[in-house]
Amino acid sequence: MKGSDNQEKLVYQVIEDAGNKGIWSRDIRFKSNLPLTEVNKILKNLESKKLIKAVKSVAASKKKVYMLYNIQPDRSVTGGAWYSDQDFESEFVEVLNQQCFKFLQSKAEAAKDSKQSPMIQRNSSLATSHEVWKYICELGISKVDLSMDDIETILNTLIYDGKVELTVIAAKEGTVGSVDGQMKLYRGVNAVLLPTGMVRTPCGLCPVFDDCQEGGEISPSNCIYMTEWLDF
Amino acid sequence: MTAQEVRLCGLLLQEHFGEMVEKVGTHLLKSGAQNLRMILHETGISLDLLKKSLCVLVQHGACVFSSGRKGPGSPTEYRTSCDRILRILRYPRYIYTAKTLYGDTGELIIEELLQRGHMTMSSTVKTVADRLTQNMEDGRSMDYNDVSNSFSNLVETHFLQRCPPPPRAGPKESATPAPPPVPGTPTPPISTALPTAESFPECYKVPHVTLIGRGKRPLSSEDVDDQRNAKKAKMDSETHGDEGICWQVNFERFHLHFRDQAIISAVANKLDQTSSEIVRTMLRMSEVTTSPSATCTKPLSANEIFRSLPTNYNIARPILDQYLTLLVDDPMEFVGKAGESGGGMYVVNMHRALANLARATLESVVQERFGSRSARIFRLLLRKRHLEQKQVEDFAMIPAKEAKDMLYSLLSQNLVQLQEVPKTPDYAPSRTFYLYTVNQLPTARMLLQNCYKTVANLIERRLYESKESKRLLEKSQRIEAILASLQASGAEPEQLTEVEEMITAPEKQQLDALRLHINKLDSAENQVDETIFLIESYVNSTTTTS
Repeated sequence: MKGSDNQEKLVYQVIEDAGNKGIWSRDIRFKSNLPLTEVNKILKNLESKKLIKAVKSVAASKKKVYMLYNIQPDRSVTGGAWYSDQDFESEFVEVLNQQCFKFLQSKAEAAKDSKQSPMIQRNSSLATSHEVWKYICELGISKVDLSMDDIETILNTLIYDGKVELTVIAAKEGTVGSVDGQMKLYRGVNAVLLPTGMVRTPCGLCPVFDDCQEGGEISPSNCIYMTEWLDF
Repeated sequence: MTAQEVRLCGLLLQEHFGEMVEKVGTHLLKSGAQNLRMILHETGISLDLLKKSLCVLVQHGACVFSSGRKGPGSPTEYRTSCDRILRILRYPRYIYTAKTLYGDTGELIIEELLQRGHMTMSSTVKTVADRLTQNMEDGRSMDYNDVSNSFSNLVETHFLQRCPPPPRAGPKESATPAPPPVPGTPTPPISTALPTAESFPECYKVPHVTLIGRGKRPLSSEDVDDQRNAKKAKMDSETHGDEGICWQVNFERFHLHFRDQAIISAVANKLDQTSSEIVRTMLRMSEVTTSPSATCTKPLSANEIFRSLPTNYNIARPILDQYLTLLVDDPMEFVGKAGESGGGMYVVNMHRALANLARATLESVVQERFGSRSARIFRLLLRKRHLEQKQVEDFAMIPAKEAKDMLYSLLSQNLVQLQEVPKTPDYAPSRTFYLYTVNQLPTARMLLQNCYKTVANLIERRLYESKESKRLLEKSQRIEAILASLQASGAEPEQLTEVEEMITAPEKQQLDALRLHINKLDSAENQVDETIFLIESYVNSTTTTS
């Protein structure tokens, strides 16, 4: 730190106070009461001395936050396990999604084949979020360490896909996987309804359904989708 | 009475009854209740044809008439309703259900009644017996008693009901047409409200009919003509003790049956076969004790259910209790627990089940139309009610750009709505929350209208295809007629093959393709009708509770 003057020391202090969330350049200006040009010069100086670094925030891609060089950025800035270099890793999420679903589905099938009483069947098809987390960790498909919360967000997307059901039960503190005295249990489910009749016709999926009028340019008589479907 | 419904009703009337009836029917649908003179004036059809068309509509229950709005002295007014005409779409399903429940006899009874609208029991029995006898081997014929028994069974389970007596026509006879052709109806007292079939206390009582005989085969042309005439005269002069009592099909009862079927198959898909059998037993026990629009069935105790299970399902009593507990715990809420007496009182939640089935239908439409990720967003919004754009992206784990795209396309199709929540009194866009939400009921109504339009499109396409190949169809019909006459008069095989070869091979191919197309379009109409039924039941169930 030799060779730096008081202003630089002040800016460095402000950035250190921000911890691992980093601080925006405008906020540095407010806290240190220095003019903009001064602040920018100091920041460039500190960066070249490798004392601070700039990290792009995933929420607003134009915003740069500054933090000390050797600190790991916080999850809210980098986006956590799902973002690598500001890009949302959708394939990674898809793979995890499918793996979790397969695990729950095979558990449900094993329970069904066991042919015991229905209550036991149902209970053995349930899996806690902890079990799923352990399974995914052991699979080793993830380069990044995933926490149980991450796995729970993946399992939530499976619920929104309609493939998995959630039950919450009360559990003793201290049992493996319990959070705040409750455990989340998941099980794979079947669909309640087959694809409904409406979507088996071309009209159910037609992109120009609203423009279709008898006698118009797009009409049932000259519908190309219908012609293709009838010859199928 | 939306535009789509009117269009579909018009197409159905035209196909089943002809153009004149269609004209009268659509006019009445669009203009509400009108008296004869007004209809005459506005449609410009001759009085004779108009009277006949109205008779056809009344005979089938599509049109009802009552004394006018200005009082008992004014001319009678006629009105039609969409619902009754849209039932025509469902006739195949009714006939098929009757066949599965009551065999061929039941099927033919329902078919005859659907075709004729209203008929007396004796004429139904005679016609059905004749038709069955036609299909049997030579020397055997159908006894009237068997058919009467089937008829009584259908009435006992409320699938058939008596027609309500019509309100008395006003004193101004000149302006009103003849009442519907029901022979010998006594004039009932005037009532301002239209009586429904159910309000008539004896609507399910089978009359005492003296019907002895067997079905007759159609006589071949070798019989002497005057022998036939003599027989015919004797048949017509017999009376059977039930003149004036006409029967019609009770559509509501069929709908209850379809609804029960839908719930049972949903349980079978979600859980397993045994659970669906338990639910089937519960529904069967509550068939006659529950009113059609009830939210849930009457409570049934576990003991009763155990006793009423079919005998080939011998599951132990504790296992039954476990199944019932699992059914109650299921998030779909098909079955609920209503108390602890008698080993646990259980009800089937009708309205809840219908709402869940309608929701599954909506989700399946979104999935097929927009893809599984859009379906994920849709389900997410259904569960969480109101969400901001950022929250949608986070919960659904879809990249921001794609999520935005999908949300906007769902919004443009009106499947998803936007709710503005302002932070400041001026609705400044930068200071308001924009929340996405899904309203199940309005979305279901919109989907219902789309279904009506789809069926109308399918019917029009079918008519178009037939019209295009009219020349070819006529040619094939002529050739079939020539073949039949040649075969009847005993021609040689060479002549037959010569006639057959008048249709060339590509024409035959075209004919086969046409037949395939028309069958496909027909079955597609039935499939869409299943969707229509589910959503209609859901919408009707919400209107009765609200």
